Amino acid sequence: MIKLTRIDDRFVHGQVSFTWVPSLEINCLVVANDKIAADEFQKMAFNLAKPPAAKLLIFTINEAIAFLNDPKSKNAKIMILVNSVGDAFRLTQEVREIQSVNFGGIRMKPGAKLITKAVAVDDNDISIIKLLLESCIELEVRQVPGDKKQLMANLLQLQADQI
Amino acid sequence: MTAAFLLITAIVMFGHMEDFLGAALLSRPLVLGPLVGIVLGDPVQGIIIGATLELIFMGNIKVGAAIPPDVITGGVLGTAFAIMSGKGAEIALAIAVPVSILAEMVISGLFVLRPVLSSRFEKYAEEGNYRGIEILHVASGLTKPLLMGILTFLALVLGDQVMKSFLDSIPPWVQSGLQVAGNMLPAAGFALLMNLMFNKKVAAYFFLGFILASYLKLPMIAIGGLGVILALIITELSNKTKVTDDYEFEEEPEVAAGEVKSPVTKGDIRKVFFRSLALEANFNFETWQNTGFAFSIIPVLKKLYKTKEQMSAALKRHLQFFNTTAHGSTLIMGITAAMEEQNSRKEDFDTESINAVKSGLMGPLAGVFDSLFWGTLKVIAAGVGISLAINGNILGPILFILVFNIPHIALRYNLAFIGYNTGNRFLQNLAKSGIMDKLTTGATILGLMVIGAMPATLMPVSTPIMIGTSGSEVALQGILDQLVPGLLPLALTFLTFYFVRRNVKTIWLLLGILALGFTGSILHIFA
Repeated sequence: MIKLTRIDDRFVHGQVSFTWVPSLEINCLVVANDKIAADEFQKMAFNLAKPPAAKLLIFTINEAIAFLNDPKSKNAKIMILVNSVGDAFRLTQEVREIQSVNFGGIRMKPGAKLITKAVAVDDNDISIIKLLLESCIELEVRQVPGDKKQLMANLLQLQADQI
Repeated sequence: MTAAFLLITAIVMFGHMEDFLGAALLSRPLVLGPLVGIVLGDPVQGIIIGATLELIFMGNIKVGAAIPPDVITGGVLGTAFAIMSGKGAEIALAIAVPVSILAEMVISGLFVLRPVLSSRFEKYAEEGNYRGIEILHVASGLTKPLLMGILTFLALVLGDQVMKSFLDSIPPWVQSGLQVAGNMLPAAGFALLMNLMFNKKVAAYFFLGFILASYLKLPMIAIGGLGVILALIITELSNKTKVTDDYEFEEEPEVAAGEVKSPVTKGDIRKVFFRSLALEANFNFETWQNTGFAFSIIPVLKKLYKTKEQMSAALKRHLQFFNTTAHGSTLIMGITAAMEEQNSRKEDFDTESINAVKSGLMGPLAGVFDSLFWGTLKVIAAGVGISLAINGNILGPILFILVFNIPHIALRYNLAFIGYNTGNRFLQNLAKSGIMDKLTTGATILGLMVIGAMPATLMPVSTPIMIGTSGSEVALQGILDQLVPGLLPLALTFLTFYFVRRNVKTIWLLLGILALGFTGSILHIFA
């Protein structure tokens, strides 16, 4: 069962191990990223960081899609971590079960603007976000489970009004 | 009085200097409370109030961008007003809770504003002007102590008379209600800490800690010691020698005879360590600890890069987004220093790899060090410190600082050298040996035992209810004590934990417990 799909460009770190994993009783963390799946050093680093309570699987996006659609994965309580809106979009297109995407942290990059204290998006991201919203995926911004859910649709609307 | 106000303001500013002092817990109520007590001529009361506030705010830690209530300003003002008007810890917390929530909003505002400086930092980097970056980093870091200092002084001067007459007008029943509520509030801290590590697999250790404290009345230090022993036995951590032996024979060359002597000295790495204490001085919501990282690594860059172009490129590299647990940051800095040195020697070095390693490690290491420092060390330090300080013992705050900082400083210092000397190899070996899993499990066992002991010793909640017919009444508390001593605090802790797991915000937890204690006191259910 997929409990959460999160965009966080630091993947596994304190907020994830400390707040999301216990609060959703996650026992399987899936890092879906093509670059990291090919990088032994990064894999090693994330294995150091994972909370003892959960298993950590590092997949390419395609592998992740196959795993998530495999009936065998249904018994696990899964949290998926991707680092970009684009990767999240790819997953939602192929994995029906994902009906909601959590925006945890996307760092500032040139051309982007901060829409909350931890999330920055650029025009490319926004166009993908629109596609996601069109396919009726809930997009919410929260760093930790206790934060108030802010809906991406509302946040971007606000930005548009300000301009 | 103005002299005292100035000194109290100085204490708040000292507390907010924590961003320069390496998050070493010097800004916690348990440390600042006694200081306020000394200024106002009642150190014992300062220690007791500090311990009480520490208990309540114990679960408040900074993970990522989730900024907790500002217990520095709130705690100091609460302690000061309580002592000045001759009241106890219950009044201090009644002031501290709302003030710290307000102050947190001011600080969040500051973190939102600080990115204004980004373009300035970038300009200095472009010019290769490392002095400029250093000065701006420190100057920006001083804004928080200054701002909070001014606000504190104003609050003291303007609020003094109002506060006193207000506090004097509080009727006794409100005060006893607050006292009961205050005794219950630590449940929030315990529950928040439990949330970091409690699960079915390790629940037994929590109850072990509880039983050792409630039935056997063991002091916190003894329970901590038992926890360490138990963790060592269960994880077999002491049997690690075999694994480390294996790698001694592996790659060890690098420094072949006749190789160029490194321009980076031991002293430079030591400087990196000292500067890392100011990592979070310019913490902001856009690039987080980036200028702190640049500030820390500059001593190494100065040795390696002599031309303006090289320096500029290096400075720009290290002004990129950075965020990790401050206490363990030196490991990444050491590794970065080694990579920069490689870069300065080899023409074809891929500079992209430096930031790739930095950003690859900051998340994972934050996971490791957050749980080690906040989840375990801080909990033990607080457990030991508070259990002594709650009775007015000055050893409380002193042990609190030492228990946390001896391992903290030793690790932070050595990690800089380990990172520099062994680079990624250290981490690879760590991963291969599987020590990390054992370490985390051991830390969880230890942390949970200490947290389990806390409700039994640090939460004096009881019930005055009498049962039976008049004439042959029996105190309910007496029966409870015969069954399970400390049952009420334990139940209350789990009740709060239930709400924490349902993601109820800390502020609501505090207010909810406050209301429960208050009504419980009025209805004579709790005392």
